[in-house]
Amino acid sequence: MMESIKELSKEEYLLKGHIACAGCGLTISLRLLFKALGNKLVMVVPACCTSVIPGPYPYTSFAVPVQNIIFEATGATASGVVAAFRQRGIKDVPVVGWAGDGGTFDIGIQALSGAAERETNFIYICYDNEAYGNTGIQRSGATPYGAWTTTTPTGKKERKKDMPFIMAAHRIPYIATACPSYPMDFINKIRKAKEIKGTKFIHILAPCPTGWRYDTSKTVEIGRLAVQTGMWALFEIEYGKFKLNSPSDRLIDKAKRKPVKEYLSLQGRFRKLTEDDIEKIQRWVDEDWERYRKLALNQYV
Amino acid sequence: MVVVPKTRKEMPVTALSVPTIGSAGKTGFWRDFKPVWVELVSPCTYDCPANNSIPKIFEKVRNGKLDEAAKIFLETNPFPSITGRVCPHLCERHCNRGEYDEIISIRSIERFLGDYVLKKKGERGFHEISAETGKKIAIIGSGPAGLSAAYYLRKIGHNVTIFESEKKLGGVLAYGIPPYRLPKQIVEKEVAALAKMGIKIKTGTAIGKGVTFEVIQKEFDVALLAIGAWKERDIGIPGEEFMMSGLEFLKEVNKGLREPPGMAVAVIGGGNVGIDVARTLKRLGAEPTILYRRTEKEMPAIDEEIQKAKEDGIEFRFLTQPVEASKRNGKIVLKCIKMRLGEPDATGRRRPIPIEGSEFTLEFDAVIKAVGERPDTTWIPRKFLNEKGWIKADPATGFVGENVFAAGDLVSGPATVVEAISAGRKTARSINQYLRGEEIKLEAPLEKPVKIEKINIEYYEPKERVKTFELPPEERTKSLDKEETLGVSLEEVESEADRCFSCGYCRSCRICWIFCPDSSIEIKDDSKPEFDYDYCKGCGICSNECPCGVITMQREEE
Ligand SMILES: Cc1cc2nc3c(=O)[nH]c(=O)nc-3n(C[C@H](O)[C@H](O)[C@H](O)COP(=O)(O)OP(=O)(O)OC[C@H]3O[C@@H](n4cnc5c(N)ncnc54)[C@H](O)[C@@H]3O)c2cc1C
Ligand SMILES: Cc1ncc(C[n+]2csc(CCOP(=O)(O)OP(=O)(O)O)c2C)c(N)n1
Ligand SMILES: [Mg+2]
Repeated sequence: MMESIKELSKEEYLLKGHIACAGCGLTISLRLLFKALGNKLVMVVPACCTSVIPGPYPYTSFAVPVQNIIFEATGATASGVVAAFRQRGIKDVPVVGWAGDGGTFDIGIQALSGAAERETNFIYICYDNEAYGNTGIQRSGATPYGAWTTTTPTGKKERKKDMPFIMAAHRIPYIATACPSYPMDFINKIRKAKEIKGTKFIHILAPCPTGWRYDTSKTVEIGRLAVQTGMWALFEIEYGKFKLNSPSDRLIDKAKRKPVKEYLSLQGRFRKLTEDDIEKIQRWVDEDWERYRKLALNQYV
Repeated sequence: MVVVPKTRKEMPVTALSVPTIGSAGKTGFWRDFKPVWVELVSPCTYDCPANNSIPKIFEKVRNGKLDEAAKIFLETNPFPSITGRVCPHLCERHCNRGEYDEIISIRSIERFLGDYVLKKKGERGFHEISAETGKKIAIIGSGPAGLSAAYYLRKIGHNVTIFESEKKLGGVLAYGIPPYRLPKQIVEKEVAALAKMGIKIKTGTAIGKGVTFEVIQKEFDVALLAIGAWKERDIGIPGEEFMMSGLEFLKEVNKGLREPPGMAVAVIGGGNVGIDVARTLKRLGAEPTILYRRTEKEMPAIDEEIQKAKEDGIEFRFLTQPVEASKRNGKIVLKCIKMRLGEPDATGRRRPIPIEGSEFTLEFDAVIKAVGERPDTTWIPRKFLNEKGWIKADPATGFVGENVFAAGDLVSGPATVVEAISAGRKTARSINQYLRGEEIKLEAPLEKPVKIEKINIEYYEPKERVKTFELPPEERTKSLDKEETLGVSLEEVESEADRCFSCGYCRSCRICWIFCPDSSIEIKDDSKPEFDYDYCKGCGICSNECPCGVITMQREEE
């Protein structure tokens, strides 16, 4: 990994002086997006942290074209941009929908589903900080079981949706998960998505020190633990073909995965979990992995 | 081009923002802690008596810059080809990688680069010598201490002359350490490279015998004594006249002797000399037995050497103390007594105590003693010696008095090659200060070394240490001249460079840069990261992730 990082461009399109919280995981993800695509793209960003962090009008920290749009409309607006590009004969500028988990799992799922069904040629990236971040940490469909948010003060009682597999049911050509703690995997997936025609969905786990309640220095470490414990699996579904990516591909054997407790115990939002809760989460993770194991074996979803 | 609307009228019809650094002001003031880039001392550098900058050397190797890597070696050790072979490598002892999988084979890279630089020595650019100073320096003794001092003093442009009583230069390197551990061509090549630097060499000249020390002191601006410790100690028992000195024996072998003094030979002593004598005897076809008065645990010899001696099939008799030697029918009869271990003595090792009535006798064709060496200072003016006849030198600076300095085993007592090399370099530094009329000052001591907690081991994959290939005992005991440890390839050295945690030294990996959420780390021309404190929010990710531990978070002043 250290070697390939040296080959990345030193150009920055997320300018310094933005107002994301210290240690923000989504911001690292944005920088990785620009490392992958450069500045030749159009972003469609709904209401979410990403629309706030560039700072107040008339300035912005994004040195790339961005459409700031309403909360629920990423899929629809991106479809419009794609249509406009088609009309104008613009072929080489990727359209990237970049939305939070709230804007994807909850309010934006209809627009996304429609765009996917219409086989709209764009990349949809959901950066998942597992809550409504910019409005002050409310629960979303992505908030995991047991996590504290301002609207789940005793911990969420329901499980997180399996968004990549909802998208798999749309039979789109490319679905991938990523995490900024694994920057080269992240960048390679975005670069790959750019080369595929149709709707591409990339789901990113973006740790959030403010919402998850951990020390700002641990963002990358938490992301890494999510992967190492199997709470977050790095995989791709390419034309229906399922594949685990490194280092998740080495974690099928349960013994190779760290216990989920190592991931949970670092975060204040899980402070109220009981041992039973942790056991339950561990069991769910193990069940997910049993599914991944079978999928990896049969390959097709 | 950036257009910033100033009045309401200038505003575009639809909202359009302008990319601007610091769109919301300077975010640096959010910070309580700031990341600072601090190089720290690695355990290897700390433990190395010469303080070789090992992580720096590995970084150059990773970047394919072997010449530069070698030059860094030469800054603190002019003879890596030699230490790469005979050094006990204290540098490896606390290697942080050992807590992860296996310690780094620093010896491999040292030997590889040592041999590499040996080929290059004499080439332009390797030994630039500063303008001649006209200062004359006499170095008495050409062991590693004398040679190292000569190298550094010559580099600064001094006029250096080495006086050596033997025919060849090298001291223990030439006449002590047997050729299967250190081929003599290596020493000869190192010496030849020194001669090329313009160092004058006077061999066969024992100071104190023909030329007196006073004459040297007068004719030279500085005299450096580096005569080692070549006097075999006495055991202090009757019949010692029937024994040979271990050092003398090794000297003869290194001069060409290939006959053992007999078949059954006793070697008395558990130090490096004893082991070398025994292993040499084995290679000459004899059957040596090492007699040592304590147990294996207390043996002062380098551990690896003890193991190799055992592999060679050398017999050890521990807790055995000779009390008398006599000659009978051409054989030497050694009367010995059994020992037991008592309380620890001043050296921390348990004291051997004779067991009364446990005497027994052993018979040998020859007996070689190697129970310790001390310097022969009989010819050195008394004013430079203490009551015990040892040189009165400051062990750190090497300064003795007047224009006299001393370094190496003469000052420390029998030690190691790398300590002698380090003493040579430090004393050269002192001599230079003295010649400039400055106060002789020590180099600043190193800070405590980096602990593994500072290293982010997540960035390293488990990988085996390279194996150095050793000739198997059956093969190596057949030849005195065949080197028993083989070198490693460039690929293997690169693999070690890759494994190295680079404790406290930036490996320019850019991990800090790629993870900075605030785009506030800049990497300029492959060098260390630079922080933009105007915008860095002090999250600490860079410090948490750094694979080498070079970024420390420091509290901002109020
Ligand atoms: C057999 C043996 C094996 C060893 N093996 C190892 C090993 O594997 N690894 C390790 O690190 N260390 C080893 N050592 C220790 C190491 O070699 C010494 O610590 C080191 O050589 C000391 O260096 P020096 O320059 O002080 O003295 P020396 O190497 O002893 O050199 C002193 C030189 O001064 C010359 N000299 C003496 N008197 C005069 C005079 N009056 N006039 C002119 N010249 C004079 C001598 O002839 C000699 O050449 C070993 C030592 C011995 C004896
Ligand atoms: C229709 C609508 N409802 C509510 C809001 C207020 N709102 C803005 S962003 C946001 C939450 C965004 O959460 P998410 O999509 O997860 O992004 P994050 O802030 O976590 O980055 C909400 C509720 C809105 N802008 N529009
Ligand atoms: Mg969110």
